[in-house]
Amino acid sequence: MRVTAPSTGAAAASARPSTTGDAAKGSEPESVYVRSLIRSQLRLGITYAAGFVVATALFVLAIVLSPVLDASFVFGVPLSWLLLAVGVYPLAITVAVLYARAAARNEERYRALTEAE
Amino acid sequence: MNAAISYAAIAAVALASALIGFYGLRVSRTTSDFYVASRTVRPWWNASAIGGEYLSAASFLGIAGLILTSGAGGLWFPIGYTAGYLMLLLFVAAPLRRSGAYTIPDFTEARLESRTARLVTSTLVIVIGWFYIVPQLQGAALAVRITTGLPSWAGSLAVAVIVAVVVAAGGMRSITFVQAFQFWLKLTAIAVPVIVLLILVGGVEPSLEAADAFPPTAGPGDLDPYRTVSLMVALLLGTLGLPHVLVRFYTNPDGDAARRTTVIVLVLLSVFYLFPTIFGLLGRAFAPDLVASGDADALVLVLPDRLLPGWGGDVLTALVIAGAFAAFLSTSSGLVVSLAGVISQDLLGGSVRGFRIAAVLSSFVPLIVALATESTGLAGSVGLVFAFTASTLCPMLLLGIWWRGLTPRGAVSGMLTGAVLSGAAILGGGAIAAAAPGIRPFLEQPAAWTVPLALLVTVLVSRVDRRRRPRGTDAFLARLHTPERVR
Repeated sequence: MRVTAPSTGAAAASARPSTTGDAAKGSEPESVYVRSLIRSQLRLGITYAAGFVVATALFVLAIVLSPVLDASFVFGVPLSWLLLAVGVYPLAITVAVLYARAAARNEERYRALTEAE
Repeated sequence: MNAAISYAAIAAVALASALIGFYGLRVSRTTSDFYVASRTVRPWWNASAIGGEYLSAASFLGIAGLILTSGAGGLWFPIGYTAGYLMLLLFVAAPLRRSGAYTIPDFTEARLESRTARLVTSTLVIVIGWFYIVPQLQGAALAVRITTGLPSWAGSLAVAVIVAVVVAAGGMRSITFVQAFQFWLKLTAIAVPVIVLLILVGGVEPSLEAADAFPPTAGPGDLDPYRTVSLMVALLLGTLGLPHVLVRFYTNPDGDAARRTTVIVLVLLSVFYLFPTIFGLLGRAFAPDLVASGDADALVLVLPDRLLPGWGGDVLTALVIAGAFAAFLSTSSGLVVSLAGVISQDLLGGSVRGFRIAAVLSSFVPLIVALATESTGLAGSVGLVFAFTASTLCPMLLLGIWWRGLTPRGAVSGMLTGAVLSGAAILGGGAIAAAAPGIRPFLEQPAAWTVPLALLVTVLVSRVDRRRRPRGTDAFLARLHTPERVR
């Protein structure tokens, strides 16, 4: 797809797909597949977001509840500070990579279903 | 500190940005090139450009300053700035790319089929953008004052002029190159000094003993649960609505590339934020006096010279000044590009000339605000812009992408609710908190209650208004979520 003129009307028109009418209502099975794709992508997003939030909260709670980390120094900095400074990023990256794969798999499944028609 | 070196570093960054901008001008000819780089930008380029645009004065100077003044509480800012991209990936990146719209107001109009909803969105985008540019210009004022001794206004004016010229001349394709270049410049400019300083500090006596520099009372254990949660809500969800970040997703070739780009952005940001964090930790041990003088945000600029007097310190200082200016320039120009896109489409007919006029306007309005106000901590002011964005654009975007029940009235009521509540808390919070000190945290960090309320109002009004659901909703949602090759 290529959009050429970014005037308001053109952008809005191109954003409204040519399928208005057909694919939206026309072929029933396809719109069922679309709904189930949207549902599964949303469920995936919420699951991974919740996973990240819960894991981060547990990590921080563990730091907060371990006063020994405030007293152990590495390179002159308390371990508790260092852990909070670097610990959450690997978690975020891991969740992101896993999600991107799972989301692409959902789309692949949808593609297989619609092409089998 | 050697002022000549500072001038040279600032001039070099400005010149490099302008040159790359004008080089880009030769390859950008059509209107479409101008706006979204014809959607041919590769994920690595695009991710570098997003990083380049996103890492602002708050990231480059503000985080280290905040860790210096408030301790481990400051560590939450880079975590939130990074994890915001995780939320963007999970809920917005691919669908938004597939929406086929150029800007957030385009998305609103296409999704809701309403001019009113579009206008409200445009107004919010412009307000958010302008208030986001202000701290960039204040950062420039601080950097110029500290490093050259020139008056503060000179720094703000210089950045505003350069941004107006580069954006008006080159448009977005050139900006993609400039932004990608600036990410790597910023990373080098902060990583090299940190590595050199880490090698050096073994031999330098710290101003404070470790136990005094990192007291448990300022540590991770001394966590204010409400403030931390509210800040995280603002930073995680605010990223979804930042106009200059979203416009960049339209330059991905397809939805899957938009997701891959976002994952790379997360990696790039995680690497970058290590360095301002280390600067902040070093500052607590070696430069605690900056807190009292009120120049904590200048920590990154002054620490190299303190720990390494002489030419070595001068070189490192030149490097961090160049990085700081890259931060001011790239974030401001990214914002000006997206604001100019919105203003020229809504008010000036969408022509290239309209884009140029809007670019100049968007550079100079924030300049006036920046000159008229005092900076109260760069990371904090940017955090408030995130809270406002999270309370206004984020509910509309999330529900617009995932919920077929959204109606124009619901979206507009939600955006206005969020804008009024968070705007009042941010602007009027000081006066209200003086009368009722107990609610101060709720006014200083409003996102934890304003975002849910805005979401709730959007959903309730949409429910009542059920019959005005846009007719194209099903088709539009199908377009957002189905992979490209099937269509």
